[in-house]
Amino acid sequence: MTRLCHLDDLPEGGARGFEVPGLACKVIVVRRGGRVHGWRDFCPHYRGGTPMAWKRDAYLNGAGDHIACHAHGAWFDIETGACVQGPCLGKRLIRVPLIVDEAGAVRLRPGEERR
Amino acid sequence: MQIIGPDSLVFGVDDVPACHEFLTAYGLDAHDYTPEKGGHFLSLDGTGLEIRRRDDPSLPPALKTGNMLRMQVLGVVDEAALEAVAAELGKDRQVLRLADGSLRTQDDQGFELSFRVTTRRQLDLPAEKVNAPGDFGRKPNQIGVWQEMPTKPRTLSHVVLFVPDIEPALAFYRDRLGFRVTDTFIGTGPFLRPQANPDHHTHFFIRTPPYMQGCEHLAFHMGGPTELMLAGGKMIKAGFESFWGPGRHKFGSNWFWYFKSPLGCNVEFDADMDTHDDDWVPRETPMGAEAAQAFLFQHRDKWAPSGGPKPGH
Repeated sequence: MTRLCHLDDLPEGGARGFEVPGLACKVIVVRRGGRVHGWRDFCPHYRGGTPMAWKRDAYLNGAGDHIACHAHGAWFDIETGACVQGPCLGKRLIRVPLIVDEAGAVRLRPGEERR
Repeated sequence: MQIIGPDSLVFGVDDVPACHEFLTAYGLDAHDYTPEKGGHFLSLDGTGLEIRRRDDPSLPPALKTGNMLRMQVLGVVDEAALEAVAAELGKDRQVLRLADGSLRTQDDQGFELSFRVTTRRQLDLPAEKVNAPGDFGRKPNQIGVWQEMPTKPRTLSHVVLFVPDIEPALAFYRDRLGFRVTDTFIGTGPFLRPQANPDHHTHFFIRTPPYMQGCEHLAFHMGGPTELMLAGGKMIKAGFESFWGPGRHKFGSNWFWYFKSPLGCNVEFDADMDTHDDDWVPRETPMGAEAAQAFLFQHRDKWAPSGGPKPGH
């Protein structure tokens, strides 16, 4: 199971992006309300997708309450991945299922590396 | 209409310090800046961006789409040109004359516009020079590149807008403000040049649904392709993320490198754009990857071939 990080490396309200061998795009991990959410770093605005941060790990909007694509300003719900504003209205991010083990390690659910 | 082009673009953003970090790394100089109120970010000739908080009461109303562009400030050559704009637009809309002498109105799509006698300074700086057999641009002993050479954006070049109704938008800028169409991407939109500016475009419109209306990207001119490459390389090294480029567009011939930004739109370096006059015959072609660029590269870390294969390989 691919290990992305430890919960201690991910402050509440924070986001980070991780390269995963075999995946074409990074995996964004957002910690919010005591839960972690995994999304592909893949804005659905354009076919083929585009990565969304304006600098390393800068995935959230100013208020920290949405994932934002910093190419054209789309905002996505952190919990559902649905676009709520901007070019991709009606589309959503692709979820990457995560597992947090007893030791606090954040891992991809088995099988996700091959998708 | 003796319009030169954008003197300033005004944004209402949700993270002012992030914009400061990005725009100063990009090479603009902050003026009258505080993290609470924002400030101005200027290029070498004084054109640039004004960054304020989204809820700053001094800003014109926000677009309904959430896009952070709040106003374009278009520079004109002199007072007579400003009067001509006021007379023309006053025919069918309210045009306010503010205490600072500027005009304030809206275009037909609801984009806020300001017009003023330009405050840009005339630049006296050499362009990048190229040596080639038959034509040596640089004097003997004048070197073409060094790692620390200045890479400051020289002037605000153009703004690209997501526009729901292209035809009325084109009619407003062409027929009311006298912009020339230089080229058109069929199905996407026109490139526009104001009469007092020879640049291939200061504006380009992209046809979109209404929920996308706003700024797609903005760009500043660099001194040449080498400056553009060095500036973009510095951005990558500092952790900023490329969107598209480096490469060279076909329409306009300008080199490009786009970066994602906390302004909610891309911010481009451009260099070596074509200039035109009224003898130019506009071209048209369908938009697509072939039409959009002559070539496209992607950054990679520095590397050098050296020595032979390691023993055993």
